Amino acid sequence: MLVVRAVNESDLEGMLELAGQVGSGMTTLKPDRKMLGQRLEIACASFAEQIVRTQRDYVFVMEDTSSGRLAGICAIKSAVGLEEPFYNYRIGTLVHSSRELGVFSQMETLYLSNDLTGTTELCSLFLHPDYRGGTNGKLLSKSRLLFMAQFPHLFNAKVIAEMRGFQTPDGTSPFYESLGRHFFKMDFNHVDDLTSLGKKSFIAELMPRYPLYVDYLPVEAQEVIGRVHVATAPARRLLEQEGMYYEGYVDIFDAGPVLQARVSELRALRESTLAIIEPAVTASAETATAVADPVLVANTVLREFRSIVVPAPPTPQPTRIALTASECELLACGAGDPVRTMTLNPRKNS
Amino acid sequence: MYIVRPVEISDIAALESLAAVASLGVHTLPKTRATITRAVERSLASFATPVMIPSEESYMFVLESTLDRSIAGTAAISANAGSNGTYFAFRNDVMQQVSRDLNISHNVHALTLCSELTSHSQLSGFFVRGWCNGSQEAALLSRARLLFAAVMPQRFGDRFFVALAGVTDSHAQSPFWEALGRKFFQMDFMEAERLIEGARNRTLIVELMPHYPVYVPLLPGDAQAVMGQIHPEGELPFRLLTEEGFEPDQYIDIFDGGPILQAHKHALRSFSASELCRVVSKTAPGNDAQKKTCLIGTARDERFRAMTAECVIHAPAGSVELSPQVMRALQVVTGDTVLCVKIQD
Repeated sequence: MLVVRAVNESDLEGMLELAGQVGSGMTTLKPDRKMLGQRLEIACASFAEQIVRTQRDYVFVMEDTSSGRLAGICAIKSAVGLEEPFYNYRIGTLVHSSRELGVFSQMETLYLSNDLTGTTELCSLFLHPDYRGGTNGKLLSKSRLLFMAQFPHLFNAKVIAEMRGFQTPDGTSPFYESLGRHFFKMDFNHVDDLTSLGKKSFIAELMPRYPLYVDYLPVEAQEVIGRVHVATAPARRLLEQEGMYYEGYVDIFDAGPVLQARVSELRALRESTLAIIEPAVTASAETATAVADPVLVANTVLREFRSIVVPAPPTPQPTRIALTASECELLACGAGDPVRTMTLNPRKNS
Repeated sequence: MYIVRPVEISDIAALESLAAVASLGVHTLPKTRATITRAVERSLASFATPVMIPSEESYMFVLESTLDRSIAGTAAISANAGSNGTYFAFRNDVMQQVSRDLNISHNVHALTLCSELTSHSQLSGFFVRGWCNGSQEAALLSRARLLFAAVMPQRFGDRFFVALAGVTDSHAQSPFWEALGRKFFQMDFMEAERLIEGARNRTLIVELMPHYPVYVPLLPGDAQAVMGQIHPEGELPFRLLTEEGFEPDQYIDIFDGGPILQAHKHALRSFSASELCRVVSKTAPGNDAQKKTCLIGTARDERFRAMTAECVIHAPAGSVELSPQVMRALQVVTGDTVLCVKIQD
């Protein structure tokens, strides 16, 4: 069985192993023992509420309880850009028009911005290839949203997610090759490593400070603005179904899109409900027929947050949910305890 | 012999036939009868106006044969490049980018639309017939304008510049325009030049051209390669002007990326290496050893004349010996003042 849970001190080895599988383009998850160790420390302190809210970094892991192996990881940063500047390109429009010549040019521009400073960020999502399929990806990503629905006071009113940008099959970023390389004079992966190490001052020092006309960029670079890495497309679709949108902010290196939403408008906040656990009478016979519309269930304990997918109940009740003993064990809950639930998939008509 | 003199109404037909053989790339040369007429009338009015502060005046000159009075070239100088507008150019800025953390330091060039040439005086519309290329006459025509400016400094600014034609290919396409101007104007280079009549001081430029600096490394290679490069036809004026003291590199043209040469007047030979001399008639032959080839311009407001001549300058006395032919051609008499610049060998 798979459970998504708050990370704890014993997860370092598992996290390292996962990070080793990631590859380039994901700045927040590098297989670096020291870095991951620090991150884990902050994450544990975050769940324990030992540090101020804006510094918190809630890291979740997906554990395969049959083997104890970590199958995936994801995180929520309470606020970005408050210690190190957080840069994005905002895609803007400049109109150049001359009535005299009858010319009207609408030009797209890239503005270097810190507009997203202070927002909450969904980040570091990674699912081990062995576990891709079924509802696993959704469980991993959406558990975070349920966590936010349970503890909205911990977060900024706005939430964002940076999506990994487009790369060609050989791993080069056409956007970086056309833009960043001229200013950084180094390989994309090197830049990527530097940003993940928190050495971000070079961005301000080396990046072009004036807005750029998109038309000046080579076509292959223009085409990938706001496009995700092939492997990231499912993650993007998933977040879009949960109420996040691409609003014209992109990564400054690979032009990957930033998805954003008001936290209050996320499906998890609009639709999830609290329910009281009651023991399930029978389990096996019904589960087989009801897998079509599974339900995401999470406990309501900050420090020991746990979340699982369960089959849809045959007769849904708004305030009660029947869980088996093993499901209760995964959630570290018992009958009578409250849990937060929402359907794993958005309703078709919504 | 050739002289340079202010343009007259009767020169319009000759100027029209000159313009017909000129390349379209010399964007400052008026090419249609209407624009030529306008330029000539403006020049006449400018010469006739007493000026204390340089403003909209533009002075046009022609290179004329003293033999048959045929016109072999033309050149102009404006008191104020902006005239009643703002003169736009790209300033080639260098941004030093330093990251101490990464131990990286490099320069990034950026082109910024600027208006600082507006109050400079501008040399423009230089064109000579093909046979003049490389000759003393071409040099005379180019520099006579500056001699006029040196005699009449109150009519001009302290700084001068000239924009030379940039590189175009055999189809009259400019790689620089293709990469930059076309995106904003949405038309061919020549069409834009025609519509704007070669002007660089029109409001529509600021309406259409980029407001923010253009990072040079982001331009296509062929556009970068022609920045500050001259059209083959511009090589002669380029050589003449650099000899005079003009320097390239700081500015380029906003349309074709051609070089803009500029200088403070003190850097120009016509100002710094010239002497005002009293004309004395050459009496006795025999002092040929002291003869120098000089550029001579009359130091008077009207009927300006300039020519190249052999003469003897008596520096202590502040006088110059001129032959009767030269005095006739310059329309000067003994006792008149002329400005002389020795021509470098």
